[in-house]
Amino acid sequence: MRSPSAGRLAITGARLVDGDGDHGIGDVLLEDGVIQAIGEGAGAGAATVVDAGGALLTPAFLDLHAHLREPGQEVKEDLASGLAAAAAGGFGTVVSMANTTPTVDEPGLVAELVEKAARLPGARLRPGAALSHGLRGETLTDFAALQAAGAVMITDDGIPVANGRLMRSACEYAAELGLVVQTHSEDPSLRGDGVMHEGEVSQELGLPGNPDAAEAVMVFRDCEVARLTGARVHIAHVTSRRAMQVIEHFKALGAPVTCEVTPHHLTLTDAALRGFDPVFKVAPPLRSEADVAYLREALRRGTVDSIGTDHAPHTRAEKERDLMAAPFGLPNIEVAFPVLYTRLVRPGELELADLLRLLQDGPAAVMGWPRPRLQAGAPADLVLLDLETERAVDPARFASKARFSPWAGERLRGWPTLTVVEGAVAFRLEEGAG
Amino acid sequence: MTATVQIDLPEKASKRKRNLLDFADWSADEVGALFDTADVMAQVLTRTIKKVPALQGFTIGTLFFEDSTRTRLSFERAARAQSADVISFAAGGSSLSKGESLKDTLRTIDQMQADLYVVRHPVAGVPHQLARWTDASIVNAGDGRRAHPTQALLDAYTFRSRFEGFDGFEGKRLAIVGDVLHSRVARSNVELWRKLGGEVVLCGPAPLLPREVAAGVRHTHRLADAVEGAHAVMALRLQRERMASGLLPSVAEYVTRYQLTEEALAMADDHALVMHPGPINRDVEIASDVADGPRSVIEAQVASGVPIRMAVLYTLLVGKR
Repeated sequence: MRSPSAGRLAITGARLVDGDGDHGIGDVLLEDGVIQAIGEGAGAGAATVVDAGGALLTPAFLDLHAHLREPGQEVKEDLASGLAAAAAGGFGTVVSMANTTPTVDEPGLVAELVEKAARLPGARLRPGAALSHGLRGETLTDFAALQAAGAVMITDDGIPVANGRLMRSACEYAAELGLVVQTHSEDPSLRGDGVMHEGEVSQELGLPGNPDAAEAVMVFRDCEVARLTGARVHIAHVTSRRAMQVIEHFKALGAPVTCEVTPHHLTLTDAALRGFDPVFKVAPPLRSEADVAYLREALRRGTVDSIGTDHAPHTRAEKERDLMAAPFGLPNIEVAFPVLYTRLVRPGELELADLLRLLQDGPAAVMGWPRPRLQAGAPADLVLLDLETERAVDPARFASKARFSPWAGERLRGWPTLTVVEGAVAFRLEEGAG
Repeated sequence: MTATVQIDLPEKASKRKRNLLDFADWSADEVGALFDTADVMAQVLTRTIKKVPALQGFTIGTLFFEDSTRTRLSFERAARAQSADVISFAAGGSSLSKGESLKDTLRTIDQMQADLYVVRHPVAGVPHQLARWTDASIVNAGDGRRAHPTQALLDAYTFRSRFEGFDGFEGKRLAIVGDVLHSRVARSNVELWRKLGGEVVLCGPAPLLPREVAAGVRHTHRLADAVEGAHAVMALRLQRERMASGLLPSVAEYVTRYQLTEEALAMADDHALVMHPGPINRDVEIASDVADGPRSVIEAQVASGVPIRMAVLYTLLVGKR
């Protein structure tokens, strides 16, 4: 069991913000994993009191897309380090991806993850399970049994489902069970051996390119399958203008499609590869400036349902191989909010309320979960955010095992200082950090 | 006894370069100075004793993750002709590269304390990565489809030496014909030729041309367009695997549309030179009579390899500090 909080915990003098708006300065009192009381003076009489000093208190974030690498890839990350990293990033709930060793494609593996995570501090785990056995894209896993064991999402993320017929069956089956199918939408043959966005920069660098068409084509298929079957299809990590336009088209038709973008695709471009550092090798790839601008527009317009981190830790040595051999993915769950707050909200490109929605109500709606609120009786999953203090990104201090970052050394604002999950302190920023 | 080479480098090249990865941080003047150095080296190679002590005491490591006997031998000859010690690492397929990070591989090799590494690797960017992790100089001997700067240098050097009435690269047009997309030779030639002030036309079937057109570079799918008025025409080797991977229909179709023939060359500049980075597929990308004909400088390109590489090694290791 998650260790229960020692008596009652109060957070006082916080600016209280949730999906219903800004409720001004007040206290919250937490007990037995829920919010007992909220408002001015509600914190009186608690055993432990945290003075927020006017910092922003809001429901902990939900990440529908993180690679926690357990079982089998613990050299990259494990449940303990991954859930601690999530909590350090202000996330209270994380959906783990199934591309582990072995693949999470059996109910027993899901149950093991759930059981193990419940004993760990940090964020709460909600496992995703594979769509096909071994992510081979050939035969369907037992969705109902996986769901009964605790899986909340079906996904072969990491590998596109090449076979359209299998995708259709998966969606029909998932629709029947009310499960969300999350897709890694890239056409494998059009993607080929591309290791970065195909364009001017890939041409300049002589690296095999992965065209935006590879993504748009597969997003189109997956949206059509959602429309055809009525399944809730969540398109992971949309990166290109073309793919986003396809999603807009299907949303306008009323197809049951939702989509996600990542912090890195919103803030980095293919130009980052100019230094030939495989840290910037991700799938789908970092795109052009025009694509990034379009993704940001889509955030503002409300086309995007959630920000998922696609936190994908690897060892340093794996990222010190050549650009073809190095694996795809980067760690970011600990810096996701500060990166987006500093790069998008502070310059005025995105409202703070919109960023919070994409990390709270947005992902909750995708999953059909209750919208997280600051109110009596609601789960005590909270994050306290310091929007003012500037701190440099210091990968050496990451809770994640992947101690490198595309933003290393960058000075950011918006750091979580306290994360509470089920009423227990899951993360607290050390004094003097940064 | 060996003679000492006297080399006067121009004033502008006063800051010693550490690496030759591509031409991004090389100026036209620095390249010009390198050509002047190559002239001196070429002269050395005509002597009875083809050796100078210029690099005595320096150790040069050749680090080839991809087989290339010709390029490796050319570099080793260039090193030994200047009395450098040479260590060869044939890393391709050995335990050196298998599953080990590049950084760990380099760390092992760096124990040999070489002053300069000549690196070839099948993946673009590896020389850049290695340059971040060692204090030794790095010379890129070919990385993926990215760059092969010494080949481009020897091509331009050959043109400079052999084009009748050569008076600079300004206004001179280089046509590159063939599989441009997958060619590091083409990419480096475009970069260097543009840097020196020349024009470039790229020609080939659409699946073998990059979609993006760089500034000052023209694309065409018609051989006649590319050749017309060109001062140098370079044919690239056609890899058979392009047909196998579905990029092209057949060799026969390629030959019909893109083979360099005497007839195709009729519209070129009167003094146009025919080049090929080798090894050639006779009667595929280039007709035999053209390859062996009076405009062909293919053998001169090969002969330029050693003096150019001598000049590169000398410039990076000694230069003018």
